[in-house]
Amino acid sequence: MDRQRHDRRRAFGNSSETVGRQGPPQRPGVPLGRKMVNRELLEQFTSRWALLISMVGIAVGTGNIWRFPRIAAKYEGGAFLIPWLVFLFLWSIPIIMMEYSMGKGTRKGTIGAFGRLIGPRYAWMGAFVGLVSTAIMFYYSVVNGWCLRYLVLALSGSLQGLTADGARDMWNELIHGYQPVFFHFLSMAAGTLIVYRGVIGGIEKANRIFIPSLLVLLLVLLGRAVTLPGASGGVQAFFTIRWEMLLDYRIWLDALTQNAWSTGAGWGLILTYAVYMRPGEDTVLNSAITAFGNHSVSLIAGIMIFATVYALLPLQAREVLSEPGPLNTGLAFIWIPQLFSKLPGASLFSILFFLALFFASMSSLISMIELAVRLLNDAGIRRRRAIPVVGALGFGMGIPSALSPSFFLNQDWVWGVGLIVSGALMSFAVLRFGVCRFRESYINAAGNDLAVGRWYDVLVRTCIPVEVAALIAWWFWVAAQADPEGWWNPLRVESVGTCLFQWGAALVILLALNRWIARKTLGE
Amino acid sequence: MSTGSLIAMFLVVGLLWGGLTVLIVIALDREKKKSSD
Repeated sequence: MDRQRHDRRRAFGNSSETVGRQGPPQRPGVPLGRKMVNRELLEQFTSRWALLISMVGIAVGTGNIWRFPRIAAKYEGGAFLIPWLVFLFLWSIPIIMMEYSMGKGTRKGTIGAFGRLIGPRYAWMGAFVGLVSTAIMFYYSVVNGWCLRYLVLALSGSLQGLTADGARDMWNELIHGYQPVFFHFLSMAAGTLIVYRGVIGGIEKANRIFIPSLLVLLLVLLGRAVTLPGASGGVQAFFTIRWEMLLDYRIWLDALTQNAWSTGAGWGLILTYAVYMRPGEDTVLNSAITAFGNHSVSLIAGIMIFATVYALLPLQAREVLSEPGPLNTGLAFIWIPQLFSKLPGASLFSILFFLALFFASMSSLISMIELAVRLLNDAGIRRRRAIPVVGALGFGMGIPSALSPSFFLNQDWVWGVGLIVSGALMSFAVLRFGVCRFRESYINAAGNDLAVGRWYDVLVRTCIPVEVAALIAWWFWVAAQADPEGWWNPLRVESVGTCLFQWGAALVILLALNRWIARKTLGE
Repeated sequence: MSTGSLIAMFLVVGLLWGGLTVLIVIALDREKKKSSD
């Protein structure tokens, strides 16, 4: 205990008074003017591995377990893996590098990072990135609550012997009642408590439990899945590449979307944790490990889900895997409970699955809470005061999503696509600052294990803007096709109009408050 | 399993898990060097 206290004090002592302005820290240890220094000293992750585990915790979420297999199944398995891997290098890794470097270099949350990098008049961009992730936190806590509810059901044995109708009834009863509010409260309270205990004692400690446990749970489930009779059909389907699928542009856009939503690139969460990196810590190799770690977990989940579904429901496998189901969660909450109930030791495997799902979502949720806390802390609100405020706000603002599936879908649509805008704003910041200058002074900073070459400049200048434009245009086109008459209507659940209206309202407010936001955060 | 699927599995798993292992080994090596410095 004493040792922990000593370590924590040491971490506080080394911390981020070493902030830079319009560039990374030039000389670590040199404090800037009073206004520029964070009002509270920053904790730091105790080791590189603690940092990496926490970063992987951000990236690995429910999307790895239930979205990735579904989208892979949509394109009949293997073909999807090719563009998914291509965009690992063309989207995820370059943007994750931006986030690591901006957080480490500026030692500020999203608003301060944008302000420091390209000037206070762009603080609103950082605020928009922070707002998108915070809006996601509001309903993501509800998702975490569902996972918790199903974990409780699995523990109590209520998932045993479920029929198809029984599983649907159970799900409908959950989402149309008041239970999600209670479990959303528990989820938000647990996340807030973890963040309240600090970066080392809370976030790092929790991720040290969540992420290794998640990996072990997934590997146990994978081992069980691939040894089921008939599982090889699922593994074969997962790795069978139908080359003609690659000619369909939608597979490329879906793969890019999966990268944008699954790795955490452009969310501002990695940037937030990077604020707590030790000085002289690597950014390039850590970015690659984070992205590869996330995709590796997706691969485990994909093989496990395909093998289980093909072994237990070979005739319906394609339909089960690719059906989005209610609120896009059909696989996790409708099919998996039924499938596991057919296995010997059913309740054990259901418990393991929902525990894995809960750990995955919880590790992401705490990073979203930390992002909002960091922004308030940067604005001068003491951390201990900011945390309950974020917790209460998160619970209150999540209630509509917990009570109304339509509201949930609307928020998921608006802010999910908003993440692509966040990625675009981050790339804009780097372009505005100068990609080459950013690479030399922020990414290839002292202490890096690997250096990034000029290829990075080309990627940020050409590929990422094209990817952003293609994704936004495509999602809007899909929405317009699905609702040709009401696509412009801001009151429709998944329309172009609702996206533009909510983003527009947020942008108008943030632009109007820009000077105040910048002054509070940057002290200028 | 067909040969094509096996090759695809070998390549994808090799690239991701193999790549991750190599990256972690490099990081371990660099950490060792930093601590010895």
